Amino acid sequence: MTKSVILLVVAIAVPLSAQWLNYPTAGMPRTADGKPNLSAPAPRTADGKPDFSAVWEMEHTRPCPPNGCDDTPSSQEFLNLAPRMKDGLPLQPWAAELSKARTAPPKTDEPITNCLPVGIFELYTHATLRKIVQTPGLLVILAEYNASYRQIFTDGRPLPVDPNPAWNGYSTGKWDGDTLVVQTAGFRDGIWLDTSGHPLTDAAKVTERFRRVNYGRLEIEITVDDPKAYTKPWTITLNEMLAPDTDLLDYICLENEKDRAHMVLK
Amino acid sequence: MMKRIAVAVIAICAPLGAQWLDYPTAGVPKTPAGKPNLQAPAPRTADGKPDLSGIWDNNRRGTAPVPIAEGVFPLGASSVGWVDFGAGLPGGLPYQPWAAAAVKQRKAAFGKDDPTSHCLPLGVPRLLVDPEYRKIVQVPGLLVILNERDAGYRQIFTDGRPLPVDPQPSWNGYSSGKWEGDTLVVQTNGLHDGMWLDRSGSPITDSAKLTERFRRPNYGTLEIEVTMDDPKAYTKPWTVKLNEFIVLNTELMDYICNENEKDTTHLVGK
Repeated sequence: MTKSVILLVVAIAVPLSAQWLNYPTAGMPRTADGKPNLSAPAPRTADGKPDFSAVWEMEHTRPCPPNGCDDTPSSQEFLNLAPRMKDGLPLQPWAAELSKARTAPPKTDEPITNCLPVGIFELYTHATLRKIVQTPGLLVILAEYNASYRQIFTDGRPLPVDPNPAWNGYSTGKWDGDTLVVQTAGFRDGIWLDTSGHPLTDAAKVTERFRRVNYGRLEIEITVDDPKAYTKPWTITLNEMLAPDTDLLDYICLENEKDRAHMVLK
Repeated sequence: MMKRIAVAVIAICAPLGAQWLDYPTAGVPKTPAGKPNLQAPAPRTADGKPDLSGIWDNNRRGTAPVPIAEGVFPLGASSVGWVDFGAGLPGGLPYQPWAAAAVKQRKAAFGKDDPTSHCLPLGVPRLLVDPEYRKIVQVPGLLVILNERDAGYRQIFTDGRPLPVDPQPSWNGYSSGKWEGDTLVVQTNGLHDGMWLDRSGSPITDSAKLTERFRRPNYGTLEIEVTMDDPKAYTKPWTVKLNEFIVLNTELMDYICNENEKDTTHLVGK
């Protein structure tokens, strides 16, 4: 029991802060009583596109325990990317076996447990914050987890034919009305989509549809087409909620890391 | 000797690519012959400020350090600055006695305890001399520096906010920049105690206050004048001038130090 607790700690520990960052978010619509008006319309960039730039956190989809919420509660989707999918993700038989093997104790091979990158899915579902910086030809997502970034090119370039396999793959996006449609390929084999060990292989093609529904909510519809691991393409929707008047605090997973040496079951 | 090699490999190894990224950089000024004109004026953003956006390389070897002004030397090559950040300064960095002793010990141990040998962040300002590429993304109110090294970022706020009084100590600290004419002057505090400035182990303490002056004198060059005021580690503030060079028609390729990492167990020093 102690050992599984250790695993959890390395996956979600966050730094204690000397001072929370509380600089006011510029241009945030406010209600008459000065509170953020999160249902106001999404802002737009100079070229008229919706502006996704903001600090975002995963929608809190898990009920808090009776003794109260953590500061940084994990979302349900961090544990299982498709919690509302009736029969679960349509895994190929080998992929179902793999997920089972991956999550059996002591579960030492999980990338996040080893402070490796989390890829583009846990990037959204991780309890720490992320920030989108949008420019006319580029969208950058900065993530507190390992103080890392992801780039999405929106300058019209095609996906490379044979990209260097990477945790974030290679992403290009095009506007479809007010929705940014992002195609990603070139994933490194062996990625975990969630802590349930759902796999992503180097055959994966991912389509994300980003829509800022209102000032306070960013909806990301994700379709995964990975015929090696799944019997058919599947789609889920995540919600990222605006985190007002704050900014990112880097979380370096490997810093003062003492847990991995203890990850043995017996 | 083997040990030294192991240390060097973990510090500078870069990924092999299935395909180098070769998408053309937009808006490059060209000479009449159609070649990139790196001497052309720096681009400007819609608000008239110099645009520092671009992919930048510090890895030019073989340039001799020539003083830019009295007491201000360029590093010329990241290979020099990477090893010793103060290589161009007469007499080197002005270490406090304990810092000089630490550098001596760290060099003798082949950098075994260098954070980068353990895949920890390089931090600021060492990221500027990292042999891997970095990319500046400049938007109104914010400058972001993306680093291939651990696919990491650094934020420099340019929206007028003050430095926090008691920031969470971090590898990149907390940075706020203001334009002085065409120079972006960036102040940083809140640096993590115990950082290494270079492979020699020149220390940075939590008393450090850093000033960087970013200037893009032409399309192809970014000058960064780094002034470190860290009285715990240095007897006086010192200034080093770095040059970064534009890299065209490519993109960042993430280098994850901790991926398939096999070296740290061999780092035994001596």
